[in-house]
Amino acid sequence: MKTDSCLRYLEDPEANAGHLAECAECRALFGEHEVATKPLALDALPLAPWEGATHRAWPLVLGGVVVALIAAAVLCMIAGMTPLHVVESSFKSVQSMRAFVFTSADALRDASRGAQLAFAGAFLAVNGVLVALLRRSPRGIDA
Amino acid sequence: MRRMLRLFVPLTIVAATLVTAMIAAPAEPARTFDLKSITLQQAASMVQQSAVIVSLVAVWMLAAVALTLMSGREVRASSTEVRASALHCFTLGLVAVTSFVLTAIVFSYLIPYFIGVPLLFALAVFAVITKIYGMVAVFHAVGTLVAGARSREHLASRKWLRGDLAMAVIGALLLGAIRLIPVVGPIVWGLASVFAIGSALATKFGRREPWFLAWRPAEA
Repeated sequence: MKTDSCLRYLEDPEANAGHLAECAECRALFGEHEVATKPLALDALPLAPWEGATHRAWPLVLGGVVVALIAAAVLCMIAGMTPLHVVESSFKSVQSMRAFVFTSADALRDASRGAQLAFAGAFLAVNGVLVALLRRSPRGIDA
Repeated sequence: MRRMLRLFVPLTIVAATLVTAMIAAPAEPARTFDLKSITLQQAASMVQQSAVIVSLVAVWMLAAVALTLMSGREVRASSTEVRASALHCFTLGLVAVTSFVLTAIVFSYLIPYFIGVPLLFALAVFAVITKIYGMVAVFHAVGTLVAGARSREHLASRKWLRGDLAMAVIGALLLGAIRLIPVVGPIVWGLASVFAIGSALATKFGRREPWFLAWRPAEA
């Protein structure tokens, strides 16, 4: 900003637009620059995961849920099962898991000191690896 | 030290796989499937099993719809993670399942000291939430892999087969149908569960935040 004309341009750029043609310094600062750009074809870019994601296809969703519910009801009727039976049967795996955990805990209580130490070592090792794996940041959309 | 670590991580993963397989293995040995020698009682048992599986698939679908409506963005982030780094999710899932089991045994060991009961309850709640959320993310991932649009024109031309909700429902239907196949079904469902737990933990339930804060000394 050297001259009064530069200051006048700064105060009112539109009224003094002709100043840019005279002053190289102001032209460099405020003039239009021609940056080489490539035309961007948006359709050529890969489809982002969020595009169209909020669309709710209710007919498909309701159709799928209704078909599954009807199939479940028909099969339960054929098998002569009540919903209570279904719930009981589905908890079988949970019960076996619970039995496995309690049996293992009892066995650990009765085990020798060496076995208990080995279990403690395995526990620490597995949880150490879990923490190490959890430290890695997710790749997700950056992949 | 680095070499030791390089050996240690795969060994832990193998151990984790063995523990998971031991837990997932059926209590009874698999019977050979022969239509000629099948009895009426066995047939009835098979129908009952199918009824239980289909009922559970219906419940899973309802859960998928509810969870996708409540937090679609998070489910989508976890689903993307499953597809972008599947091996990491699988490894993390295996190690997490093993960790859950070992931790549950340790907490059961502590039951006589009372503190074990609330800890075991908290662990069970966390494991169930992880599994449910992760399975919905896996449904979404499977649905997107199978029926997802590949281009914008493809997406624009679709009326129903688009959006998170549709992908989750299609994935649930597909995995549910596979689960009905004897022998293969439970294996595929088990693998999906491992992926599910891995993806849920890898993305911190879709929030993509770090689990642990990095310690840095305060600058004066």
